[in-house]
Amino acid sequence: MNRKREIYSVELSGTKDIEKTDKEDGKKSRGLKNKCLERKKNHQKEELKKELDLHDHKLSKEELETKYSTNIITGLSSAQAAELLAQHGPNSLTPPKETSEIIKFLKQMVGGFSILLWIGAILCWIAYGIQYSNDHASSLDNVYLGSVLALVVILTGVFAYYQEAKSTNIMSSFRKMIPQQALVIRDSEKKTIPADQLVVGDIVEIKGGDRVPADVRILSTQGCKVDNSSVTGESEPQARSCEFTHESPLETKNIAFFSTTCLEVSAPPVGTATGMVINTGDRTIIGQIASLASGVKDLKTPIAIEIEHFVHIVAGVAVSIGVIFFIIAVSMKYYVLDSIIFLIGIIVANVPEGLLATVTVTLSLTAKRMAKKNCLVKNLEAVETLGSTSIICSDKTGTLTQNRMTVAHLWFDHQIFVADTSENQSNQVFDQSSATWASLSRIITLCNRAEFRPGQESVPIMKKIVVGDASETALLKFSEVMLGNVMDIRKRNRKVAEIPFNSTNKFQLSIHETEDPDDKRFLVVMKGAPERVLEKCSTIMVNGQEQPLDRSTAEAFHTAYMELGGIGERVLGFCHLYLPTDEFPETYSFDVDAVNFPTSNFCFVGLLSMIDPPRSTVPDAVTKCRSAGIKVIMVTGDHPITAKAIAKSVGIISANSETVEDIAKRLNLPVEQVNKQDAKAAVVTGMELKDMSPEQLDELLANHSEIVFARTSPQQKLIIVEGCQRQDAVVAVTGDGVNDSPALKKADIGIAMGIAGSDAAKNAADMVLLDDNFASIVTGVEEGRLIFDNLKKTIAYTLTKNIAELCPFLIYIIAGLPLPIGTITILFIDLGTDIIPSIALAYEKAESDIMNRKPRHKKKDRLVNAPLALYSYLHIGLMQALGAFVTYFTVYAQQGFLPSAILHLRVEWENDNVNDLEDSYGQEWTRFQRKYLEWTGYTAFFVSIMIQQIADLIIRKTRRNSIFQQGLFRNKVIWVGIASQIIIALILSYGLGTIQALNFTMLRPQYWFVAVPHAVLIWVYDEVRKFFIRLFPGSWWDKNMYY
Amino acid sequence: MTKTDKKSFNQSLAEWKLFIYNRTTGEFLGRTAKSWGLILLFYLVFYGFLAALFSFTMWAMLQTLNDEVPKYRDQIPSPGLMVFPKPVSALDFSFSLSDAESYQGYIDDLKKFLKPYGLEEQKNLTDCTNGTFFEQKGPEYTACQFPLALLEACSGVDDPTFGYQEGKPCILVKMNRSESTAFLSTYPSNGTIDLKYFPYYGKKLHGNYLQPLVAVQVGFGSDADVREVMVECKIDGSPNLKTQNDRDKFLGRVAFKITMHA
Repeated sequence: MNRKREIYSVELSGTKDIEKTDKEDGKKSRGLKNKCLERKKNHQKEELKKELDLHDHKLSKEELETKYSTNIITGLSSAQAAELLAQHGPNSLTPPKETSEIIKFLKQMVGGFSILLWIGAILCWIAYGIQYSNDHASSLDNVYLGSVLALVVILTGVFAYYQEAKSTNIMSSFRKMIPQQALVIRDSEKKTIPADQLVVGDIVEIKGGDRVPADVRILSTQGCKVDNSSVTGESEPQARSCEFTHESPLETKNIAFFSTTCLEVSAPPVGTATGMVINTGDRTIIGQIASLASGVKDLKTPIAIEIEHFVHIVAGVAVSIGVIFFIIAVSMKYYVLDSIIFLIGIIVANVPEGLLATVTVTLSLTAKRMAKKNCLVKNLEAVETLGSTSIICSDKTGTLTQNRMTVAHLWFDHQIFVADTSENQSNQVFDQSSATWASLSRIITLCNRAEFRPGQESVPIMKKIVVGDASETALLKFSEVMLGNVMDIRKRNRKVAEIPFNSTNKFQLSIHETEDPDDKRFLVVMKGAPERVLEKCSTIMVNGQEQPLDRSTAEAFHTAYMELGGIGERVLGFCHLYLPTDEFPETYSFDVDAVNFPTSNFCFVGLLSMIDPPRSTVPDAVTKCRSAGIKVIMVTGDHPITAKAIAKSVGIISANSETVEDIAKRLNLPVEQVNKQDAKAAVVTGMELKDMSPEQLDELLANHSEIVFARTSPQQKLIIVEGCQRQDAVVAVTGDGVNDSPALKKADIGIAMGIAGSDAAKNAADMVLLDDNFASIVTGVEEGRLIFDNLKKTIAYTLTKNIAELCPFLIYIIAGLPLPIGTITILFIDLGTDIIPSIALAYEKAESDIMNRKPRHKKKDRLVNAPLALYSYLHIGLMQALGAFVTYFTVYAQQGFLPSAILHLRVEWENDNVNDLEDSYGQEWTRFQRKYLEWTGYTAFFVSIMIQQIADLIIRKTRRNSIFQQGLFRNKVIWVGIASQIIIALILSYGLGTIQALNFTMLRPQYWFVAVPHAVLIWVYDEVRKFFIRLFPGSWWDKNMYY
Repeated sequence: MTKTDKKSFNQSLAEWKLFIYNRTTGEFLGRTAKSWGLILLFYLVFYGFLAALFSFTMWAMLQTLNDEVPKYRDQIPSPGLMVFPKPVSALDFSFSLSDAESYQGYIDDLKKFLKPYGLEEQKNLTDCTNGTFFEQKGPEYTACQFPLALLEACSGVDDPTFGYQEGKPCILVKMNRSESTAFLSTYPSNGTIDLKYFPYYGKKLHGNYLQPLVAVQVGFGSDADVREVMVECKIDGSPNLKTQNDRDKFLGRVAFKITMHA
């Protein structure tokens, strides 16, 4: 034992752990096993932090060949590959462990009220057992009842399970993707195989645009660039080569990671990158990060907590009333067996059997509605979580922005012009009459290598696929919108030579023939970094006229440049030069390597700035969030200036709020002297965040209402989420990268991007945004809040009749009346007439603007609060009970048993040997005749509850407004519900009234109307309640009567 | 772990204490005295109103009823049959011939039951014609005489022990009172109930009504120690009265068992 422990401590090599081990020596060895397991986990984490035990990048090609027994030229043999595949498994990430279907099913079977009903069922069978041992001929009623109860649990369980499964299916169908292919060399042949068939040692070839199919050690390539943002969070393309450049496998250039994208491989002769697979599937770095995410524990959703709370309340009421009356019954000298039967009746009456199934249906209806609005919910309960969200941590790129560079501003003729950055850019209103614009637009059009992919004539310009980088794409689309067919213009102005952009020159240049047949001059056009372009200019164009570039014009240029750069835009300068025909005749041959043409004394034409603009729906959505009391925090890897600019333009930082730096600048003070409380907004960079203690972060989150985190790594997102959760907030987080998955898991609701999101992110998330649009989150929030309100109404509706079902049992025990309503009949209400109406409430429209109130407080605004329970139980419920009792007494009195006669009649009434029980008129009843009358009573009671539940349904449409404000007919489903109630009751009474096992009888038509006045009374009473709530907001009445 | 548990327990205890009585706000169980007063007053008024409403509705409903006849009589279209005396357990008469105590109860019951059938008590009743319904229009309703003599040996006149002492116990079979009107004529000579005892006009109008009886006297042989007999009585000869109902074992019929020990 001791030795083993030592081994562990050595492996961990942390002094702390050794200390721990020493301390533990005295302890029992029982705890040791757990400790060991824990250690193992810690150990794994530790290892990942130490950045993996990967040394392949340090090895030479030959060493690699030996290690993986492969050959760089011929690849593995098929047999070897098959063997390795069998040994290591397919090259794919294991999806997160799903709870097994059986466990899910069993959970439904014992969750919620099921336990209570199981107890009821078992008590029934026990009661029968006792009866049977006393008298072998005892009736099977209890067995039936027990079986019915068990059946109810099983059916509702199966139903809930089915609903859950259905909603998960939507998700899994979505997950299905086109299988990825990989080009691999095996048996000296190039083959295309599915990427999940790759094994270590395979030699793969990667083209630009491919996803890297596994962790790959690069063997040969040229100018290969990869997008590693999903692993390291850096959004800039990273160069990859075959040299070992860094100790850390994450930093070295000769390893490309699984699921990252290879952006480009420079042109032939090579054209592809060749690499050797060194890790596959879960053993890849991405795989390890993903498995780390599955270690983050799932939180209970707020609605699950609420439902649990509600189940506790109802079960508490059921059990305590049951036990109290059990004791009362026993002390009233009832047989224990009878008392047990009473107990069952009380439990059944108290438990809203159909409610949990209704809630599931309601949630899945909303989930469907949300899916239509592009929010795909993976976990049904997350539907509501979104509604209680109080902080949204949103990505910038693609979520808040359109994820494409777009021309935002132009500067020419000493003036800044604003371009339309909306999604279709159709509304370009800036002044285009100037001759300068003509020149500028020509440069933009000609000095551009990007091209539309052919065959897209019918596609709108903005949706056309372009071959070229982001800026050039933006310029191409911009000029296409402004000038029409760019390709045609380029054809007419034939390009004779060009110098592509490179990072040392920082400019791009091309030489064209002009389309003017009389003008034989060549036109040199140039674009690039503004300061570089300006350096090459000696004149500037103003209103179409060339003017010397003097100091004041240069100043104007700088002001414009700083202004555009200051709002986070990428600025480009444009200039041109007409070459004189005498020096450069038509036949002149340009040589770009020798640069046999002038590259200075150009004429500066203008500036143009680009940005990834916000989606047009986002500012509105952010405003909505703000009025809904939701804090929107931007978390981005981008530069703080750009981040702040976008935050300002979408309203995450509102127009009039300042950061500490802004105040400092305005007051001309050093930043340290500014009172931090004065600044509403804050822009925090990842570097600053790194140095913050949790307390400082808490302070930051609490004191600033508008926060932007810039230059953050995905790992820091987790820290931010945890900080928000410490503020007791319900946090929604958006993410797309693999590294986002721990944050997505940690968040109360993780939202993955459907288009840009990685599989790992989608796996970790609770919700997937199909259009990657922030605005969709807001519609989701709206739906979530609505469903919370409507669930309240559903629950209030369902709880109400419980009292009307419970009172009969209590009166039966205390006053000895013949039982007014049977257990089976109660089940027909709970699972029959009440189901569709309670679902119908889910279709109710919001009473007022739900986006104008604060998000609900997790701990204070409960789904089921005291006023709701009291109002349902003690007001409406009691009124219903009275109405039903009136019907019951009417039925008995009109058949001969006056109310006074049936008091304390129970024992004789239920005595099978009394077959001549005398009623108030002296008629004598056999036991069966009495039973039949009892069933008529059940039916009457049932019908009365149903009639009053119609009134209950109508009053539950609103909690504050009058029914007439809400509109009686706006929610048509309510009327379907009412119709269903009546039809089910009619079928039960008139259709199945002859089946005695169901205890229904054909009820005289007039008994259907006895409770109608009570139903009207219920409605009037509730209108009065709402009227006073509206009249005296905040009053005692409001506090006690508003649920 | 246990440390935090303890803390939270103490915390919750403190929270409970605060809930029960909060000194700073003067709240008792989450409400101030004023709030309690208001809520109690509210429920007093509200429930008072509901109680009044319920009483009124019940009163109104009772006003619609007829004192004399129940509004509906559809649930007992056919009368049940019942025996007298009622044995202690089910319909299982059991007594011991040698033990007078064991059947004394039956005798007392019978005596009590037949008391209204005494000559004195029947003095004012009508001597009705046999074989027809004794239909009356009111407002006065009289009942037909049912002379005890009809029960012959079981009348208790000749044998105050109703045959129990001799091992020939008497059991009376009666037909449940129900306000049904249809009854047909012909009877077998033994064990008949005459039409003249029908119809029954309800307790209020027909207070002195005597249910017609049929006596069954069982005679046992003297050889065995324990003698058992199953007797089933059924209303016969009336197609309108049901005697076959699987669920109702007493509808127009009755079955009982007599066990006599020596």
